[in-house]
Amino acid sequence: MEFKDYYKILGVSKDADVKDIKIAYRKLARQYHPDLHPEEGGGDKFKEIAEAYEVLKDADRRAKFDELLEYGDQSSQGFQPPPGWQQNHHTSQGDPAADQDFSDFFNSIFNGGFDQSHFNGRAQPHHARGQDVETELAISLQETLHQQIKTVHYQLPVSEGGKIRQIKKQLNIKIPQGVINGERIRLKGQGKPGYGGGEPGDLYLHIHVNSHPLFDVKKHDLILTLPLAPWEAALGTKVTVPTLDGKVTLTIAANTQSGKKLRVKGKGLKRKGKLGDLYVIINVIIPPVSNDKANQLWQELAKKSAFDPRVSWGEYL
Amino acid sequence: MMHRLTVISLSELCQLERIESHHIIEIVENGIVKPIAKTISADATDNNKKPDWEFETASVYWIKKAVRLHQDLEIDWLAVALLIDLIQQRDALQKENAFFKQQLSRFTEY
Repeated sequence: MEFKDYYKILGVSKDADVKDIKIAYRKLARQYHPDLHPEEGGGDKFKEIAEAYEVLKDADRRAKFDELLEYGDQSSQGFQPPPGWQQNHHTSQGDPAADQDFSDFFNSIFNGGFDQSHFNGRAQPHHARGQDVETELAISLQETLHQQIKTVHYQLPVSEGGKIRQIKKQLNIKIPQGVINGERIRLKGQGKPGYGGGEPGDLYLHIHVNSHPLFDVKKHDLILTLPLAPWEAALGTKVTVPTLDGKVTLTIAANTQSGKKLRVKGKGLKRKGKLGDLYVIINVIIPPVSNDKANQLWQELAKKSAFDPRVSWGEYL
Repeated sequence: MMHRLTVISLSELCQLERIESHHIIEIVENGIVKPIAKTISADATDNNKKPDWEFETASVYWIKKAVRLHQDLEIDWLAVALLIDLIQQRDALQKENAFFKQQLSRFTEY
């Protein structure tokens, strides 16, 4: 078992008073709390900080820890408490805080002493509901147009003869029409099993709508960027563009600028009875390669056109 | 076939997620989440009686986050509400930023 130096974790000295410990904890909590910094992932660092604070803010726990720190054996083989420590500190009730999600080291100190039977798993209350489980389900943008039946695969830990084993679970789930990226769907009783006859937790499905190679999403609307050749934009044309469930022909007016937005009503996403639109944004593209004939035509146009795209810059040049 | 659940009652939330009802009342009174189609009644301030609120499942995410922030950072509910507002604004800006980056890349890919 790994020894945890709670003073080092909080960055305080062994004679720090409660006020200093609180200041150090709050500073680190702001820095590492997983709800404030989801990109850091996991929150393991914060768990360690919270555990250290749980011990050092409480005079009794701190006194126990100080004793272990002074007399325990922190060799490379793992931490061992001083001889006789278990008999002196064992309590049948354990510490109420030991039911929380703390390390084996913490639970061993504060939930019944250094008994080897505690090393294989967390101490658990006699009767408790199982934990909720969160899993991600990826779906395509097209699949959000209609209600879907999707199969979700996930793993759940089960206890068998004191050992924890992961079992694979599979559920068929109705995904409603118009589901959005980031939405959470709750499935009652499909989370981790309870302890001592307690109810199982819930499964929360975190919906991830995969990005589409052509369409972007803004609330109910879809955005499509339409590349046009310069002559199509200048002379006007008809272009067939894809929608999520088919295609539509657009009339491009003469002299259409890059960035112009065309609205195709009712071709967006369907959500909660509302139907979004498809917005087509024009992007005029210059041909990447040229040849003599094309250059000659551009030069001819340049000579005959009075167009100055930088006319508004006049006073700065 | 599973059916998804879209609402969760206050008593279910307290029982299943082990959240104390007075915490949920603070969360509602500070505007962090809104119960579905129900207003805060006078009962909400009576410690002896739980209001019969129901919440959208999506609210559970913010309720749990608010309780964690209140306990872990040792801050009052007004500060939690402010923090949740800022987190939601940050999430929205990150989403908007990702959208504009994607749009920009579609314009500059040629």
